[in-house]
Amino acid sequence: MAAAIALPENLDLKAAAPLKAALLERRGAAITVEADQVRRLGGLCLQVLLAARKAWDQDGQSFSITGPSEAFVETTRLFGAAGALLSAEFQGAES
Amino acid sequence: MDELEAIKVTFFQECEELLADLEGGLLAMEEGAGDLETVNAVFRAVHSIKGGAGAFGLEPLVRFAHVFETLLDAVRGGSVPNTVELAAVLLRASDILADHVSAARGLGDVDMAASAAMAAELAQWTDPNAAPAAPAPVAAPVVAEEAAPVIIGADDDAMDEDDLGFVFVPQTITVEAQAADAELIPSNVWTVSIRPKSDLYRKANETALLLRELNRLGPIKATLDDSALPALENLDPEAAFVTWIVRLETEQDESAIREVFEFVDGDCDLEITRGEASVEAAVAALTATTEPVAAVEPAAPPPVELIAPVAEAPPVEAAPVVEAAKAAAVAPPAQKATPVEVPGPGQSVIRVDPERIDRLIDLVGELVINQAMLAQRVGEYGIAPSSNLAMGLDELEQLTREIQDSVMAIRAQPVKSVFQRMPRLVREVANMTGKHARLVMDGENTEVDKTVIERLSDPITHMLRNAIDHGLESPEERKAAGKNPEGVVRLAALHRSGRIVIEVSDDGKGINRERVFGIAVKKGLIAPDLQLTDEEIDNLIFLPGFSTAEKISDVSGRGVGMDVVKRSVQALGGRISISSRPGQGSTFTLSLPLTLAVLDGMVVDVAGETLVVPLAAIVESLRPKPEEVRPLGPVGSVLAVRDSFVPLIDVGLTLGYREESPHPTDGVVLLVEGEDGSRAALVADAIHGQRQVVIKSLEQNYQQVEGVAAATILGDGRVALILDVDATINLRRREGGAPRPPEPSLIAAE
Repeated sequence: MAAAIALPENLDLKAAAPLKAALLERRGAAITVEADQVRRLGGLCLQVLLAARKAWDQDGQSFSITGPSEAFVETTRLFGAAGALLSAEFQGAES
Repeated sequence: MDELEAIKVTFFQECEELLADLEGGLLAMEEGAGDLETVNAVFRAVHSIKGGAGAFGLEPLVRFAHVFETLLDAVRGGSVPNTVELAAVLLRASDILADHVSAARGLGDVDMAASAAMAAELAQWTDPNAAPAAPAPVAAPVVAEEAAPVIIGADDDAMDEDDLGFVFVPQTITVEAQAADAELIPSNVWTVSIRPKSDLYRKANETALLLRELNRLGPIKATLDDSALPALENLDPEAAFVTWIVRLETEQDESAIREVFEFVDGDCDLEITRGEASVEAAVAALTATTEPVAAVEPAAPPPVELIAPVAEAPPVEAAPVVEAAKAAAVAPPAQKATPVEVPGPGQSVIRVDPERIDRLIDLVGELVINQAMLAQRVGEYGIAPSSNLAMGLDELEQLTREIQDSVMAIRAQPVKSVFQRMPRLVREVANMTGKHARLVMDGENTEVDKTVIERLSDPITHMLRNAIDHGLESPEERKAAGKNPEGVVRLAALHRSGRIVIEVSDDGKGINRERVFGIAVKKGLIAPDLQLTDEEIDNLIFLPGFSTAEKISDVSGRGVGMDVVKRSVQALGGRISISSRPGQGSTFTLSLPLTLAVLDGMVVDVAGETLVVPLAAIVESLRPKPEEVRPLGPVGSVLAVRDSFVPLIDVGLTLGYREESPHPTDGVVLLVEGEDGSRAALVADAIHGQRQVVIKSLEQNYQQVEGVAAATILGDGRVALILDVDATINLRRREGGAPRPPEPSLIAAE
């Protein structure tokens, strides 16, 4: 069964270590990351999510970010990380 | 107050703390105690102020803070030696920074000329040649030939070196690719390579904000490079690994782009080149990012910024290319949050609206009263003290007292907040008067109620000014007297018998008693033939209208004399005294109650009314013998207490409780001392004992009543007035009931 974690509102410096720990705990099974609450996404948490994405890909497990908030989508795009983290519908059009 | 305003208020509160930290650190540096940790703390303070100010668009403040910070960074990095002379300059710069903060707050102006001069001085320290320190133009030389060179310092040597490859700079763009596309480069396209360091995040800065800021200059496309990102299990969550290459289209020039990175200067490697990177390089980079980290060749070209035809590149789904034009609209809220992120000085602090604490203190006051009432009721029923009920009540009393103390402790603050403003004052006054002064502070952590702290600043300021202006001699005089040309002014705070004592002392020439006496006579304040002790002469300087300054200086002697200090201290329920030794200096001592919310008082009966007399004013209580009471004038009388005579004042008569005074021998007499040191004997009918009472303001709840300081509620629920001892003495005097007796010991003090 797929594990699920909900991301907190504020993914800043302080959230990075707990996020890494929470993800590591759920390693080995498919995971759903709920991003509907996120209001801020910082560079450090982005790194954790990118590393997690790679880890899950390596394990051959599914890693999906669901219901991303507007802020999450916007910041992920700004970071140039939409392709790695968001499903196709949120990746935005090339302009 | 809208959200932004509220955050701004918080920012300015933080600024105050940061400025205090800054000054504290700089003073330590000035004393030669500036280790790296201190320098770092000082740097962080300025950096945080700059960061917050930037978020609010406080331009002049940001500009000045930036120059300041640049120098501090150089000190931190060791390129500018940390010397005592430097600390002195930095201290002056911190004063100007404080002015900028005040100005940004709408309080006062900045002397822009002084600010500019200081900025220039700081820049001079940073780099004696005043050459701007641009980041090494690693990739720039490649485009330098065909596209307009924009990086300062790009030269031919650097171009030649490009062939060697800069292995330590993974963003190096291949020469061939660059050259091939050179003709196609539109002039308004820039490539910005951003490599944040871990410090950037640690200082609560954020790459997302930088990208958003870039996006305000024009549309951006960011490509991230996570090739250096370790596997999840090995990832240090607080270290920076991911880097970005951003394609920016803007009409703005390079300096505008650089400005975006102003706050992260040093915490982020930055390269700005005109034009865009090639498709081949971009594709190569993308390939690199999609492969496992281990497979990446160390020399593989890192990802480079993507241009439009990227859709043709095979691994499109892995190409994290994003157009974030909409981001601009979201940018302002993100900015607002910035000052909140600024970490405090390490301690976790809760900011509470003072009104809430006042309300709590009020409530606890009610609790104390209620508990006293309960105890009194129980006493009235004649319950044995050893009974469970009585013992339970005792415990309740204990608890109530503890709660009261704890609540008062919430409002207690170290006097540091006031003391911290003083080093600057001393510097300025010393500069203005041409004297050399060093301030030594002691007991900054002594705590006192907030209500008292707020009103300490003025008296201390004035006393310090006086100590430097009147107390200290000029450096020449000091040398001639065999003293160190630098005078020492000492400011100390300590607790003594339930009060806070503030001492301001100097090692100057002491009070010139002959001159003080002469001036007092000349101004008609005392009779020329009056015999006064040294101490009495010293106290003459507290007389209204007394000023010893021969010339009116900017510093003191503006008609605001020590009498004003004395009055403001008295208004706080405190007293001030002076001691002076010729040639060795003077010491002013302020003694103040620790709080203005509770008071230790003597509960007395006067004409059937219950009154509270502040214990601090009572010297002794006694039952007079008939032979000690001597009539004086038509209605007044004096009491012989040991060697002197003291006017007798019937409190009941003064406050209008009765028309006719009983004979003093029928009641008790409280020998009291007014704040000016004058004594009087207050006649009351009976003494009930001592008690701590909660002060309830009459002014707030009713109106001011002469002779009454405040009110309190007693255990039986009745309101008792708290006597204003000084006002009572003066009231009686004015009415002529007790004319001033001729004892010289009283005249001097009045």
